[in-house]
Amino acid sequence: MNLIELKQVSKVYGHGVSQVQALKEVNFAAAPGELNLVIGPSGSGKSTFLTIAGGLQTPTSGQVLINGQDPAQLTAQQRDHLRLTRLGFILQAYNLLPYLTVHQQFELVDRVKKDHLTPAALQTLLTELGIDQLQAKYPDQLSGGQNQRVAIARALYANPAIVLADEPTAALDSQRVQGVGQLFKTLAVKHHKAVVLVTHDQRLLAFADHCYQIEDGQMTQLS
Amino acid sequence: MFLAIKEIKHAKVHYGLIIAMVTLIGYLIFMLLGLMLGLANENTAAIDAWSTKTVILSKGANVNLNQSLIKTADLPPLKAGDSLVGQSPVVISRQTGATHKQSAQLIGLRADQPIYQHLELVSGHRPQKPRQVVLAANLRTKGYRLGDRIKLAGQKQSLTVVGFAKDGMLNMTPIVYGNLQLWQAVKGGPQFAASAIFSQRTFQLDTTALKAYPRATYVNKLPGYTAQNKTFAAMIGFLMIISMIIIGVFLYILTMQKLPNYAVLRAQGIPGRTLTVATVSQAAVLMVSGGLLSLLLTRLTMLGLPASMPFQLSWPLAAGLTGALVLLGTVGALIPVKLIQRVQPLDALR
Ligand SMILES: Nc1ncnc2c1ncn2[C@@H]1O[C@H](COP(=O)(O)OP(=O)(O)O)[C@@H](O)[C@H]1O
Ligand SMILES: [Mg+2]
Repeated sequence: MNLIELKQVSKVYGHGVSQVQALKEVNFAAAPGELNLVIGPSGSGKSTFLTIAGGLQTPTSGQVLINGQDPAQLTAQQRDHLRLTRLGFILQAYNLLPYLTVHQQFELVDRVKKDHLTPAALQTLLTELGIDQLQAKYPDQLSGGQNQRVAIARALYANPAIVLADEPTAALDSQRVQGVGQLFKTLAVKHHKAVVLVTHDQRLLAFADHCYQIEDGQMTQLS
Repeated sequence: MFLAIKEIKHAKVHYGLIIAMVTLIGYLIFMLLGLMLGLANENTAAIDAWSTKTVILSKGANVNLNQSLIKTADLPPLKAGDSLVGQSPVVISRQTGATHKQSAQLIGLRADQPIYQHLELVSGHRPQKPRQVVLAANLRTKGYRLGDRIKLAGQKQSLTVVGFAKDGMLNMTPIVYGNLQLWQAVKGGPQFAASAIFSQRTFQLDTTALKAYPRATYVNKLPGYTAQNKTFAAMIGFLMIISMIIIGVFLYILTMQKLPNYAVLRAQGIPGRTLTVATVSQAAVLMVSGGLLSLLLTRLTMLGLPASMPFQLSWPLAAGLTGALVLLGTVGALIPVKLIQRVQPLDALR
């Protein structure tokens, strides 16, 4: 079953002459156990796509289903709840609160969500990500790569079925890119998540199960 | 509360400065309150010490003891609890030791009436002879001692200080207690029975010559009393509002810096309420700490204040003001809360 489905989705920003068509009749689907890569240059509509696929905004036309539900039919609270329970967002920046230690970032999730990973599962995840020694550290004491891996762990801790990431390799050097690609691949295969990455980074292509190219809001499947 | 406390702990300097600000404002508020109550007490200490419920003054006196004179012919029948009080502004000059002049007011009493009988002294005894007087206890800070001889300006014979009275202040002026004949001598004759009747009873009286006023009416008409209290109350009120705005503005600035983080949290589905509660409870924590510290600071300051300074603090009232301060600061936090409520999860991707 597809956890995310976009059918004929279009998005238009603004009115009249300043009108921008950011997405044009996009069709997309993501199933558990798969790594989906959406690749395109800056300004092509990647973030717009990701926010619509994550229920952060609604399309101008077309249909979106997240976990079988149309976010446009939900109240704001219900959308919050859908994101909290089903979606893990990993964004380019500001994923971690600067005044919480790594461990407390997870504690914050505890306080708003019952259905999270067990302490043992969290420990395994942290070891897998190589950040189990960093639990007492604050985000500003971590490197860019460590920050990102904590953000990934934080998103997974809430135990979402879907993981959405915006430009996850933007802050990383070549060597790290391979590691992150491998990591998201593992998430999909081993943890059985539906993973969607949007990026302009060609180096991630090798890890994808499904590849989409986006240009001027038009999406085409590559393979 | 989790986010609020963790953040305060992490940014100790930021929040320490805000707490310091609240502490100083609270300190200023409590010092003003202390002065307000202290000065109010110097206005009414004697009236309270006399257990006054009703004051009878002559009708033309405009509720002013200084202007009131009751003729013997107009005197109503007195009941238990009533005391004749003769009052006159006087200047006393000390005859013993270094000369010293002091403005005061003579209060003449009758030995068979309640004010005299319940006069509370800190030392010595009540005036038993016409030329004996009891001074307000705070005159001891000016060097007056038992056995000193003093003269009233314009009087030939000298008087002996035989005691010091507790709560001897009326309308900011120290009292010289003597007997009623002494007062009559100063006022110039026995045709006047007294300046006023201070009674421990509640009653009404309205004759052609006299009128009875309840304690509150009389006190509020004390020269300067109401104006002084209103001035202090206004200053305290303004400080409260200023502290509310300060806390609001500080939290606003701090919240602005956190908005990108909050947007990500909102995208991750953390309810807006969690973030609102964090900000409001943070304001409450800051105000409570600042309030308690300012109470402590006030208490320490009181240890060092000179006895002559009119300063008196009512702790229940101070606690009430702290509560109001906490409440107002928390209301101030609603300014940044508006900001948080406007954060869209979508902002996270911009
Ligand atoms: N809120 C908005 N209002 C108007 N235009 C927007 C808005 N967001 C994005 N756009 C426009 O839509 C197009 C796609 O933007 P975006 O989805 O951010 O692309 P990408 O993430 O690939 O850089 C761009 O031309 C951008 O200027
Ligand atoms: Mg983008």
